[in-house]
Amino acid sequence: MVQITFVQPDGSRTTIDANEGASVMEAAVSNGIDGIFAECGGAMMCATCHCYVDDDWRDKTGERADGEEIMLECAAAELRETSRLSCQIRLTGALDGLVVHLPDEQA
Amino acid sequence: MAVAPVDETLTLAELTRDPYPIYKRMRAETPIVQVPAANRIFLTKAKHTKMVKDDPELYSSDDPVTPMRRAFLAHTLMRKDGEEHRRERMAMQPAFSPKVIKTDWADLYRKIAAEYLDRLPRGETVDLFTGLCGPVAARILAHILGLDEVSDADMQRWSQVLIDGAGNFGFADEPFARSDAANAEMDAVFDSLIPRHMAEPNNSAFSVMLNAKDPIPRSQIYANIKIAIGGGINEPRDALATIIYGLLTNPDQLEEVKRQEAWADAFEEGVRWVAPIQASSRRATRDLQIDGIDIPEGVTLMTIQASANRDEDLYEDGEAFNVFRKKAPHQAFGSGPHHCAGAHISRRTVGEIMLPMLFERFPGIKLDRPEDVVWSGFGFRGPLNLPVKLT
Repeated sequence: MVQITFVQPDGSRTTIDANEGASVMEAAVSNGIDGIFAECGGAMMCATCHCYVDDDWRDKTGERADGEEIMLECAAAELRETSRLSCQIRLTGALDGLVVHLPDEQA
Repeated sequence: MAVAPVDETLTLAELTRDPYPIYKRMRAETPIVQVPAANRIFLTKAKHTKMVKDDPELYSSDDPVTPMRRAFLAHTLMRKDGEEHRRERMAMQPAFSPKVIKTDWADLYRKIAAEYLDRLPRGETVDLFTGLCGPVAARILAHILGLDEVSDADMQRWSQVLIDGAGNFGFADEPFARSDAANAEMDAVFDSLIPRHMAEPNNSAFSVMLNAKDPIPRSQIYANIKIAIGGGINEPRDALATIIYGLLTNPDQLEEVKRQEAWADAFEEGVRWVAPIQASSRRATRDLQIDGIDIPEGVTLMTIQASANRDEDLYEDGEAFNVFRKKAPHQAFGSGPHHCAGAHISRRTVGEIMLPMLFERFPGIKLDRPEDVVWSGFGFRGPLNLPVKLT
């Protein structure tokens, strides 16, 4: 299990335990985190699981996936260098303690 | 190991008239059921419809015998999987993004909405379905696609002809004769518009696809636009009509929606309650099981999102229209790789623009005889008329 902390736009934080191998999106959805819609179910087709990776974790979450960039362009909220589709961040032991910030809108 | 039970007596006519009591019974008694009338296995639970749509390797969109290919004279992205599907879809996706809608289109949509509302007569009964919902959906789509020159009537006619052809499962000649004629008309119009979009690149879907760095073949550009015509008018039209009906038959909710400006919630509840696209097909690519029921390779499954959206596992009293219900994800836009490419557009155009403008313009709008509204449809569903008095 690894811990992930989701930070809402208003600053409130929720920390959950998630299984390694799951995506950040799957962990968020199965824990009922507000602000991750994931309408396409992880197919990289909707940009409603957009999140901002905390600066301290950018190296560990790696590069954007092939095709992720163009879909991120379709996100409702501001695109930043730290923007990722949370369905494309796979949880490993190295991500234990990960902090991601949620955008102010998804759809 | 168990074979899915068979519903021998159910007819498509019954499903077209009112499928909801049938789905409710299926969810309770036979959630996975063979329906010979449709030559499909129906999946009626939300967890099953989502699982199937999220897994294109096991459940393919490619239906080798689909009438859609004949109707569109092309193998379209709706029936493709994997990279091929992604490439064609991404070719037009930028035109549908929230940013482009905000920067390029929102003002135009408001102008169009105002113009179409201006035309409606006050003080007499008017059919909003034909007088507003259809034409405004057609006009907005024409701009998004880059077909500004095409009339509302032609857009709506082409759309219906393509839908009729794609649903011509009996392969009768007449619907294909009509779709062939419409294809010829569309091809000629598209040909004539290419010079404009090449000379003045813009954010319409046609222009974005034509001017891409590595464009998809011209034939697929045309097929994509046709898919958007076939799939981009009925849905916002029916969503708008359904939500207006839901609000007018629940005046207390309407008042609260106005007070809170909860139009986005009204939109989501309307498409949950009666999803404009009610069902989709997927083909099993190998012998599978769902919840202990055998799904043989090659069989076509029908994921009934209309039923998933009222599933008791997710919704309390899901049969009712209730804007202020406890939020739960619905599948009106589908799920997985084929998740509706127009989801953002419909939320903006119907939810953020049309609904508030209509109710602001006509605060005394009344549906005197809700029983006169005729609902119809199995694959696509919505009201066929919406006679209201506008004041």
